[in-house]
Amino acid sequence: MVAATEARDTATTELARQGRTLLPALPALVFLFLAFVLPVWVLFLRSFTEPATGLGNYQSLVTDSVYLDVLVNTFFVATAVTISTLLLAFPIAWFLVIVPSRVARMVFAVILLSMWTNLLVRTYAWLVLLQDTGAINQFLMYLGLTSAPVPLVNNMVGVIIGMTYIMLPFIVLPIHATMSTLDPALMQAASIAGAKARTIFFRILLPLTLPGISAGCIMVFVMSLGYYITPALLGGVRDMMIAQLVAELIQKFLNWGLGSAAAFILLFITLAIYFAYVRLVGLVRPT
Amino acid sequence: MLLTLQRMGPGRYVLYAITAIAVFYLLLPIVFIPILSFNASRWLEFPPPGWTLRWYEQLFTEEQWIGSIWNSVKVAFLVTASAIVLALPAAFVLVRGKFLGKTALNAFFASPMIVPVVIIAVALYGFALQWGMAGTLFAFVISHLILALPFAIISIGSSLQTFDIAYEKSAMICGASRVQALLHVTLPSIRPGIIAGALFAFLISWDEVVLAIFMATPSLQTLPVKIWVTLRTDLSPVIAAASSLLIGMSVLLLGISALIKRTRK
Amino acid sequence: MNSSTGSGGTLDAGVPQGSQPARSMAANLLSIRNLSKHYGDFRAVDNVSLDVRRGELMTFLGPSGSGKTTTLNMVAGFDTPTAGEILIDNQDISRVIPSRRNIGMVFQRYTLFPHMTVAENVGFPLMVRRVAKPQIAERVTRVLKLIRLESFGDRRPSQLSGGQQQRVALARALIYEPRLLLMDEPLGALDKRLREEIQLEIRRIHHQLDVTIIYVTHDQEEALRLSDRIAVFDNGRIAQIGAARELYDQPANAFVGAFLGNSNFLTGKIATANGGRYQVTLKDGSSIEAPARLALAPEQPVSVMFRPEKAILQSVSETSGFTNRVVGRITENVFLGDSATYEVRTASGELVTVKQPFGPSETKTRTMDEEIAVSWPHDCVHIFPIDR
Ligand SMILES: Nc1ncnc2c1ncn2[C@@H]1O[C@H](COP(=O)(O)OP(=O)(O)OP(=O)(O)O)[C@@H](O)[C@H]1O
Ligand SMILES: [Mg+2]
Repeated sequence: MVAATEARDTATTELARQGRTLLPALPALVFLFLAFVLPVWVLFLRSFTEPATGLGNYQSLVTDSVYLDVLVNTFFVATAVTISTLLLAFPIAWFLVIVPSRVARMVFAVILLSMWTNLLVRTYAWLVLLQDTGAINQFLMYLGLTSAPVPLVNNMVGVIIGMTYIMLPFIVLPIHATMSTLDPALMQAASIAGAKARTIFFRILLPLTLPGISAGCIMVFVMSLGYYITPALLGGVRDMMIAQLVAELIQKFLNWGLGSAAAFILLFITLAIYFAYVRLVGLVRPT
Repeated sequence: MLLTLQRMGPGRYVLYAITAIAVFYLLLPIVFIPILSFNASRWLEFPPPGWTLRWYEQLFTEEQWIGSIWNSVKVAFLVTASAIVLALPAAFVLVRGKFLGKTALNAFFASPMIVPVVIIAVALYGFALQWGMAGTLFAFVISHLILALPFAIISIGSSLQTFDIAYEKSAMICGASRVQALLHVTLPSIRPGIIAGALFAFLISWDEVVLAIFMATPSLQTLPVKIWVTLRTDLSPVIAAASSLLIGMSVLLLGISALIKRTRK
Repeated sequence: MNSSTGSGGTLDAGVPQGSQPARSMAANLLSIRNLSKHYGDFRAVDNVSLDVRRGELMTFLGPSGSGKTTTLNMVAGFDTPTAGEILIDNQDISRVIPSRRNIGMVFQRYTLFPHMTVAENVGFPLMVRRVAKPQIAERVTRVLKLIRLESFGDRRPSQLSGGQQQRVALARALIYEPRLLLMDEPLGALDKRLREEIQLEIRRIHHQLDVTIIYVTHDQEEALRLSDRIAVFDNGRIAQIGAARELYDQPANAFVGAFLGNSNFLTGKIATANGGRYQVTLKDGSSIEAPARLALAPEQPVSVMFRPEKAILQSVSETSGFTNRVVGRITENVFLGDSATYEVRTASGELVTVKQPFGPSETKTRTMDEEIAVSWPHDCVHIFPIDR
């Protein structure tokens, strides 16, 4: 009896101690709760209550072909962007690992600069560059590669060019981080053991870099799913992605029920991919 | 052999080529826009028929543009200050604290980085409409702070992580109170992390588009919102001038952070 | 407030560091009573009691993980004891926070503040005590002179060698004249030469300032060189406390015997006891004598210990020599210049080491595999009971 009370006492004081430890984090905690958790929760509720209580909003989103097209578009763009960034990022990361650090630092500076340049500015730049009368088309015509301007913007091509540009740093950095921890002696050992360059690449370099590749791909894919500004400016009317749908439904059509339902489908997909990844591989360290 | 330059063989030229193309691709917009901002042609002809400072003049004289720049600055400073004030004690708890659910708390503080911004934006938009906060400075600060806070916490936390607590102990055994140890030893040691966190917070706020679009009203806009709104009607070269200003700010802040890193070595 | 610094005490030689009001000038500055620290079921410190005399330099000596740092941390106030009490000047300090204990500490890793100069580091304890600036400057100069780094005040810690950094850390701990100075393996990160140099410095400062010091180390040579008394730690307990000579000549148990210096251990059991001596039968059948310091019953298994330098080697045929004698073959033979060390395997397979100094008469070297007798006097033998 006494022992039990004592145990409970120490448990209570332990809880009190933990509470005190947490105290300094309270302002940040309260802020995030009021400004972030609460609004998102209210939005979540609205997806079930407006215009009528029930799952109606979700039902129309997954049955109406207009909305289904948006979902398909979203996945298509995210996949294409992931592939194109990966194809560019792997050689860049490799380059950064093998060149002298002075050169690597310069390339890094360019990557960081592009990463920290305003999203809207970068998108605007592509919008101008990719116009029919823009620099790129002018250049292509000057070279004689085409006689009439190639439509590069207001379509899927524009979206993929622009988003690849924006996502590139997010995949180069994790691949580079993984690759730079590899020991060059490992490759040498393999080559002394008689392995050809091809074999070493596919059997050693690629598998060992896989953690970085998968982290980068997941990050790019998930971020692309929820992108708004770039597809909105570079894409055509028919290339709408889900974030645009959310924004338009709410801001333009004031359809809060449907808009918030679309938002939560996006959130659900994002979190599902993220948690599946964490489950399989471990935590993604944000860079 | 695949990780040493000399032994890579001719394959390395492929890497050089791809990286060169990528660097060109990455630099193109950043270099192109400032050039364009001096373009005399109203229609952004390329190559430019002549050069002018007209668009900058318009940017710095037109009430709406200059007002939006000013708003951006105000919001960014307020966000930076509040981010540090909130993040500093929180980082101490996350790094030093021993309590149940520490990983969960860590994840919670990082969660705004995972949730798509557009969702946070519409959720806050709903709140702003309901409480009459749309188009107020307060709404801008609150919304930008949500995104800036995780970055501030992470960068302060990581420098706190590398700070050896033995320094604090030796300060205390020397007679320093907790507060004195914090002020004279801990804070000066983690100053690079605090500055980095502040730079991040400033840049995030300064650059934020999506949240700002939803918080803005025609009477109160930040620079990115003004660009966005203008962009939806035409591609006016004033946008190029405004964009150059934003690029300049990024270059400046990155330069500062690089400088800090160098002096720390 | 336990501050003794407000009155601007001096660092000059001969002034006892306890320039405090004549509270209770008990002989013991620090008393540790039944101190324990448990981590779950693990006892890092297990019922430790000891007294440190005023002005004494005591070392805590023991293998890694034996609880030295944990004990020290409890004295400093960084750890709270699970049980027991710590008294300084007869006052329980368990509720006093570290900054109010007026204790100095030097850590193994250099913990000079990297963003302050040497002078700022050394002046830090006075700065937090709100001593006036000119006074701080004056005392910093004095204490830097004490550690012979007068001209280094403007440097940053990163511009100093490891040894210099550790001397600055010492200066920072001395400047406020703490009543007790704790040093946790302060020279652990330095090489041997430097270590010996700073050991001398510490001895000099200890004598000059008459400060009470607890010094943690797992290096027995360091302990022997520095200490007035040594507390040997073993698995969270104190195995023995005493002056170096006492521990070496009269180890209280096999652990101390083995840990401090080199020793031979042979197993056997008590045969008879008479006239203050035990007859012990060894594993190889030979019979030896040992002083009866402990009360042991016949048939009690014991461990017989004696030092390699107390034994001599003789030809088997020689019968002169000491009471105790075993026979074996030489299996190892190491020439060390001033002496030679032999390893002898007895009939029971046990190894005995003999250290033979080359005095003016002793010139012989023995050859490998030679059959030989090891003999040693009975009063150099220690016997420790083995649990059955
Ligand atoms: N926070 C802790 N939790 C659990 N066990 C601990 C903790 N701190 C110390 N210990 C254990 O207590 C024991 C004593 O540690 P302590 O640091 O006092 O040893 P030490 O004698 O100073 O050793 P060393 O010479 O290596 O410094 C060790 O076995 C250690 O693992
Ligand atoms: Mg230790």
